[in-house]
Amino acid sequence: MSAAIAAAEAGVPTTIIDDNPFPGGQIYRQPPLQLRSDENPSTTSVRGQQLLRRFAALKGRIELLQNATVWGLFPQRALAISSNGGWTMIDAERLVLATGAYEYVPPFPGWTLPGVMTPGGAQIMAKTMHVLPGKRVLLAGTGPFLLVVALSLARAGVEVVGIIEAGGALEYLRAMPALLAEPGQFLEGMRYLLQLKRRGIPVYRRHVVVEARGDAELREVVIARCDHNWQPDASKQRTIEVDTLCVGYGFIPRIELALMAGCEMRFAPELGGWIPVVDDEFRTTVSEVWVAGDGGGVAGAIVAEVEGELAGLSVAESCGALSRAELSRRRRPLLRRLSSLRRFRSGLDRLSAPRPGLTRLARADTIVCRCEELTRDEVELGIEAGGTDMRTLKVMTRLGMGACQGRMCWPSVARLIAHRTGKDIAQVGPISVRPPIVPISLSELAAEQVVP
Amino acid sequence: MSERDRQADVIVVGGGVIGCAVAYELARQSISVLLLDKSLPGRATSASAGGLWPIGEAVGLGCGVIYYQANRTDTGGTVETEQGPEPLPPVFRDFLAASNAQFPCLASELRDASGIDIECDEGVGLLFVMFNEQECAFAQRLAANVPRDLGMQVLSAQEALRIEPLLSPEVFGGVLLPGEHQVNPMLLAEAFKRAALAKGARFRSDCCVEKLCIEGRRVVGVQLDNERLHCKTVVNAAGAWAGELAATAGIKLPISPVRGQIVLSEALPRTLRACLSTSGCYLAQKRHGEVLIGSTTERAGFDVSVTIEAIQSLSRAAIRVVPMLQNVRVKRVWAGLRPGTPDELPILGKVADLDGYVNATGGFRTGIVAAPLTGRVVSQVVAGKEPEFPIDAFNQSRFSSE
Repeated sequence: MSAAIAAAEAGVPTTIIDDNPFPGGQIYRQPPLQLRSDENPSTTSVRGQQLLRRFAALKGRIELLQNATVWGLFPQRALAISSNGGWTMIDAERLVLATGAYEYVPPFPGWTLPGVMTPGGAQIMAKTMHVLPGKRVLLAGTGPFLLVVALSLARAGVEVVGIIEAGGALEYLRAMPALLAEPGQFLEGMRYLLQLKRRGIPVYRRHVVVEARGDAELREVVIARCDHNWQPDASKQRTIEVDTLCVGYGFIPRIELALMAGCEMRFAPELGGWIPVVDDEFRTTVSEVWVAGDGGGVAGAIVAEVEGELAGLSVAESCGALSRAELSRRRRPLLRRLSSLRRFRSGLDRLSAPRPGLTRLARADTIVCRCEELTRDEVELGIEAGGTDMRTLKVMTRLGMGACQGRMCWPSVARLIAHRTGKDIAQVGPISVRPPIVPISLSELAAEQVVP
Repeated sequence: MSERDRQADVIVVGGGVIGCAVAYELARQSISVLLLDKSLPGRATSASAGGLWPIGEAVGLGCGVIYYQANRTDTGGTVETEQGPEPLPPVFRDFLAASNAQFPCLASELRDASGIDIECDEGVGLLFVMFNEQECAFAQRLAANVPRDLGMQVLSAQEALRIEPLLSPEVFGGVLLPGEHQVNPMLLAEAFKRAALAKGARFRSDCCVEKLCIEGRRVVGVQLDNERLHCKTVVNAAGAWAGELAATAGIKLPISPVRGQIVLSEALPRTLRACLSTSGCYLAQKRHGEVLIGSTTERAGFDVSVTIEAIQSLSRAAIRVVPMLQNVRVKRVWAGLRPGTPDELPILGKVADLDGYVNATGGFRTGIVAAPLTGRVVSQVVAGKEPEFPIDAFNQSRFSSE
C-alpha cells in the first residue's frame, strides 16, 4: 500500500495485485465485512488505520485487484494472475514486489499433528475469522510476534498457557542499546510484556519445544531448557498439556517472484535468509523491478512501510512524475527514519535469528518435507549420496517436488546440508522456483484470458 | 589442488545424461576420466520427459509430430497433409532400438553400481492418438513402412479406448508401439554419474570451460576460468552448448538449442496405462503419479523462459486427448534446450584434422533413449576400438560435404 500511495500521489497510474479479499496484508488484515461491527471493532493498529485511510483516499487513482494471485512472472514483467476461477496477464512497465514473509517452522517430532500451527495462522483465525484455534494454547519459537499473538488470543478468550522463547534474558540486556534506538517500539514491547504479566501468562526464556505428542491430535507438548545455541538439554524437560501449539521461529522472505524475475540474490541470515540485492532506492538488479518490505528482508511492518514509500518515490521519479531534486528531498527524512529503525531491528535480529540447535530437533523418523513425506533419515541419506544442492537432492529424494516447491522445508534442509558438509549455508543456495507458484488447474490454463 | 587432479586420460565436458553415460563406460574400461559439469538453466536432461520411444521418435510419432506441426503454418492443431513428418533414416531407428534394448539390463547394472533405481517403467507402450481421417491415413502410411517385427499396431477408436479407457470419445484411432516405455531421466544421469564415480571416475561441478586447448593438431586439455586441465582426449558432451565449445577449437558444429516447454500435473493415482502422443502434445504419467505434458519445439536461442502461449496450447491439447485431466492441478511448468541438429540426427565420433577430440552430442529429442548406446560407442571410439554399432552416419563429416 505504501509504495502504491507514494507512486499514485505523484500521479503514476498504479495497480495493486493482492491475494487477499481486503487491503491490509498480513499485519493490517481486515476481517470480512459481515464480521465487522461496533461491538467487534477491528483490532488493526492505529498505524494500520492511518495507512488504510490514506489508501482509501486514493480510490480511483490506485486500481486494486483483490483475491488475485500472481502465479507466474514472465519476461518483460508480464504477470500471470489467477483470480475468480480464470487467469489473466498484466504487463507492468514497472514492478514493485511487496510479497512479505512467511513463518519459519523447523521440523521437530510431532510437528505435523493436527493442533500444531503457526502463530500467524492462529492470529488469522482469531482476528479475522473469529474462530478460536483451541482452548488451551501454548506459543513457542522466538520474537515479538509471539507476544502479539498471545495477547490477541488471550483477548479472544483462549487460555494461553505460556510463551516459550528460545532467546535468553541476557541477550535482551546486550541488545538493549540497539533497542533503545526506537523508544516507541521498545515501550510497545514492554507494554505487551506487562499485559501478559497482568494476565498471568508466563514467558519461558531459553526454552524450546522438543516434541508435540498426541494420537489423532495434539495432547501435550514437551519443552526443554536450551543453551545459547538453542540446543535443548534433555535432562531439563517438562510436559505441558495443551490442545493447540503455535510455533514460529521468525520469518522468511517470500522470494519466489524475485527469483522468477531473475534478481541477483544474497544470503542475509539476519534478514531471514535469501533476499534480492537492492540499491538504496530498493531497485533490484533487474531493470524496472523494485522490492520493498519483508520480501526483501524481514524487518517488520514499520520498516516495510518506509521502504515501500522509498520504492514508490523511486518508481515515480523513474517515470518522470517526480524530479530528481524532489525525490532526494523526500527521501531524506525517510532514510533517517529507516536507519534508526534498522538499529532497533539489528537488536531484535540478534535476539531472534535462528540458531544451530534447531537443526537437531528433528529425529531420524521425523517428517522433514511434508509434501513428499520424507523423514530426516531419508533426506540425510540423499545428502550423503551426493545431494548437497537442491537440484541433486530433489532428483535423489523428491524433496521439494511438492506443491510448496521446497518453500517450507528448504530453509531447514539447507541448514542440515551446511551442517553435514561443512559448507557455508550461503553456498548451499536458495530454492529454485518454477511457475505456477500457486496451484492452478489445467482447465484454467487452457481457457482464454479473462478481463480482470 | 594437486597436479594429478588437473589431468586425466579423458575429460568429458557436460554432465548431462550423455556425458555421464560416456564417463561411466570409460570408467568401466578403467580409463581415467574427469567429468566436468556446469549448472546452466535449460539443461536438456533435467528438463526432458524421459520417454523411451525409439521407433515413435524415429518414424515421427513422438515429439516429431509436434515438431512437424511447429515448422508448418498453423493448421489448427492437426496433421492435415497426407505426408506428415518424414521418418528419420532406418540406421537411426536401428541405433535407437539397439540402445533402448539395453535398458532392462542397464537398470539392474546401475542399481548395483550406484544404488539408484532409474524408474524404468513398462506400461502398455506408446500410443499415438489420431483425431481425424488425415491423421489416420498418415499413420497407416507410416505403419506400412515400418518393419513388421517392430510390432506397430494400427488401432480403431474402440481398440484404442480399450487400451486407454480415459481417452476422449472423440478419438478416431490409434497406433500402438508396444515396446516403448519411460524412465526418470534425471535419475538415469545421476545413476550413470554415481556408477562412474564408483568405478574411479572423477567429477567436478560448477566448472566453466572457457575453451579447448590445442597444440599442433591435437586437443590437449581444457581451459577453465582460472586453471588448465590436461588430457589426451576431450569428449564434447555439452548438449545445446556443444557448438560454443567446439567453436573454441575452430570446429564448426551445427548444434543449436531447440526449446521444449513442459507442463507437469500434481501427482495422481495411476491414470494412464500408456505413454500418449498426439499432434498437439504427448503425455506420460511418471512413477510418482505426476502426468508430464510435453512439449514445444521452438528456436528461441538460449532463452529458457516459459511462454503463456505454449502453456495454453499444451494444456488444451492434453485436455483434448484425456478430458478428465481438466480438473487436475498443474504443479510446474519449465523449459529445456535440446541440442538440435539440421537433420535431427546426433553428432558422434571424431572430427577430421584434429586429434584428441570426440563429439557426443546432438541428442535432440532422443538423448535419453540413445544414452546407453551412445555411452558405449563413444567410449569405444575414445579407446581406439571399433564401435559396436557403426556410427559413420552420425559423423560430423556429413555436414562438410554439403
